Amino acid sequence: MRLTVDGKDIEINADPDMPLLWALRDLAGVTGPKFGCGIAACGACTVVIDGMTVRSCSLPVGQVTGAITTIEGLAVDGKLHPVQQAWLDEQVAQCGYCQAGQIMSAYALLEEIDDPTDEDIDNAMGGNLCRCGTYPRIRSAIKKAATLKLARA
Amino acid sequence: MSVHRTLLTILAMSLAGAFGAAAQETPAAPPVVVDAARGLPEWDKVYAVFTHPRCASCHVEDNRPRWSGAHYGGTRVHGFNVQGGSDGSGFGNPGLRCNTCHFESNSSVLHGPPGVVGWHLAPPEMVWWEKSSAEICAQIKDPARNGGRTLAEIAVHVRDDELVGWGWAPGPGREPAPGSAEATYEALTRWSESGAPCPSG
Repeated sequence: MRLTVDGKDIEINADPDMPLLWALRDLAGVTGPKFGCGIAACGACTVVIDGMTVRSCSLPVGQVTGAITTIEGLAVDGKLHPVQQAWLDEQVAQCGYCQAGQIMSAYALLEEIDDPTDEDIDNAMGGNLCRCGTYPRIRSAIKKAATLKLARA
Repeated sequence: MSVHRTLLTILAMSLAGAFGAAAQETPAAPPVVVDAARGLPEWDKVYAVFTHPRCASCHVEDNRPRWSGAHYGGTRVHGFNVQGGSDGSGFGNPGLRCNTCHFESNSSVLHGPPGVVGWHLAPPEMVWWEKSSAEICAQIKDPARNGGRTLAEIAVHVRDDELVGWGWAPGPGREPAPGSAEATYEALTRWSESGAPCPSG
């Protein structure tokens, strides 16, 4: 089975029913996406496939049809993506376990909406839970990331 | 130009006369007589399906799908701030689409996300959630609120559409809709043949 992960074509030997997260972490060695709940209810495993967020813990790898982007593929030539940079600038993470998924959802949001409102952010991020309750900082970071992204464009 | 118009007029009059004669010789199809005694029991079967949570939970008018089942302690609004989408598509919002969690098949894990091809919310004008039998019956018969379908097309849609069919194969831990897609198709057909009567009130 061939997958495109963070711009690289890889070959894996996986049962089509295996969750994509298992294939990424255990077979491809891409451990950025995290296991949280295993039923698409927390968002820690979020990756982006052809621009759309996907909970990789629940998507059978045999149903993957597009290029996968994980948290490990956002930086380009060592330069952090604006969302990653904003996450650092705003000191979002507390324990940090959810942030790989949070950042991927924020990345997907900003790919569709350049300058999201609070409502846009709430609508996009409602499926990414943070047990530390860093939601105000997540919101601030997304707004800062929007500014950084527009400045780089 | 005027010669052409005259010729066309003569041709049209000739054709109209010919078809008029043919129409007089061929009796028109008799109008469907509404047979409420036969039709209403069939509609009741359809109503039981349409208002079952597997169907009605995504036929809402407030853009927010519902969850229901014993483990939810009653029906509730779908978690995670999930919505049909600000663009009116029914497929979710940027960053959180229905297909973020709902894939081409049901999760095999209890409480995992159900799935089938094309998972999305019905348009709000097709609301069934908490609507009466009379209200849903009127909606189904109204092309402006049923996707521009004839009753025969609705029956086929119910029988053949994959997303509709999911209601009878909803995955582990969920009660399926009553009957089957085929039985609902047959009930809709018999109801239509009975003049599609709607309950009062």
